[in-house]
Amino acid sequence: MDFKESGFMYAIAAFVIAFVVAESVFFIVKAWKRGRELGISKETLKNTVFSSIVFTIAPALSILTTVIVLAGALGIVLPWIRLSVIGNLAYETVASETMLNVFGSTLSTEITDPAQFGAVAWVMTIGTSFALVLTPLMCKTIQMKVGKAVHKSEKSSKAADVISAAAFIGIIAAFIARAIYGKTPDGVGDAGFMSIVTLVTAIVVSLALEFLCDRFNLKKLQPFAMPLSMFAAMGMAVLLNQVLPAQVAQFTWWG
Amino acid sequence: MKKERNSSNTLSPYMNSVHTWGRIWSVGALLALLSVPTFICVKLGVWPEGAMVMKALAKVIPIYWGTAVVEVITYTPMLGAGGTYLGFVTGNITNLKLPCGLNAMENAGVKANSEEGEVISTISIGASAITTTVIIAAGVLLFAPFLGKLTDPQSVMAPAFTYILPALFGALGAGYFRKHWKISVFPILVGVAVLLFAPTLAVGTLIFVTIVAAIGGALVMLKLKLV
Repeated sequence: MDFKESGFMYAIAAFVIAFVVAESVFFIVKAWKRGRELGISKETLKNTVFSSIVFTIAPALSILTTVIVLAGALGIVLPWIRLSVIGNLAYETVASETMLNVFGSTLSTEITDPAQFGAVAWVMTIGTSFALVLTPLMCKTIQMKVGKAVHKSEKSSKAADVISAAAFIGIIAAFIARAIYGKTPDGVGDAGFMSIVTLVTAIVVSLALEFLCDRFNLKKLQPFAMPLSMFAAMGMAVLLNQVLPAQVAQFTWWG
Repeated sequence: MKKERNSSNTLSPYMNSVHTWGRIWSVGALLALLSVPTFICVKLGVWPEGAMVMKALAKVIPIYWGTAVVEVITYTPMLGAGGTYLGFVTGNITNLKLPCGLNAMENAGVKANSEEGEVISTISIGASAITTTVIIAAGVLLFAPFLGKLTDPQSVMAPAFTYILPALFGALGAGYFRKHWKISVFPILVGVAVLLFAPTLAVGTLIFVTIVAAIGGALVMLKLKLV
């Protein structure tokens, strides 16, 4: 049997996945109890869970895609482990490719040397684990400092609202800017016609759904407006890619 | 809704408990993660050459560790403590956990940096982490051959996955832009301007720039009483 997909590898995957699920359940239960103490309704908490599940489906399929892409070289189990815990779409690909390049290989070629496989596992792990050292050291301090700043700015609640919204908008703005004029290292998903149309579709559908929810008081639809807008925009990308000439659909600023 | 705010200098017992447990789980996760390559090397009876691994790490660490510092500083105020501890263990923060948590807080009408926001963000990120784990596990065990074809660059569905980030952040941004359009334009323009000179700039760095631009722009507008 291929050492990359042996029963032992599946056992490691089961252990890591059990850890992630256990931690998630622990924090959900803790937060749920606290939420009820704070007077947050059961309906709001349930809506949070359901809308988060719906929200997650499409990006999770995208993550699954990365698992499958990496599986060609690394077998399916190691990418599965890495992307179920701490991993990230971009980081895992870059880390494994970097290690394989040192061996004179790439992700296009299946690893058959166990020593190379072990080396890739180490680079993926060490490269992306630093945040787990930082969060126990920094999270509380950061939160207390932010708490102080918010407490001070509560003298002007409007200012606090605007600054809080600005911070969120700052994050979103980075991705909007990338959709307008970003270039990816591998050239897949570069900004151009399709990225802008997808972006605009998502915004327009989202605004339309919000309008409908407000106009007709559709409270149950509201949590799903965002994921539905996302799926609509993805559908638009598929549709336009089929109906438009390739030079239009595949136009990017970098040719 | 009962309001319980933290004082400026201390955290509530709940928040202190979240930090204690968050630290325990984070250290546990770190050990679990390090055990993966250790188990692999012990089982296969191979240990990679240190010099080769260091050569690769020398390229990877400056990017990833630098980004980790920026991400922890940037995301902690957005996600709250529970969301941060959980998000950094379960991964895919920028492309999934962060927008998921922000969307949940927006839907519930709660603010980050309040305990209500902390609760909603934690539940959202936990639900997202479990969903991701289930989908990946189901995909690996059952649907891998089918999904490989679905997401193949030649597949009809491929563009949906190629442009998933514009779809995701366009949908998420719309609500914010509608409510706060005056403070939204400037950070986007700054982001595009930066990309004109450095189009491949890592998103972790770009986010830092656009957040500074967004907050700076908002403060100026507040001073000029434009918002």
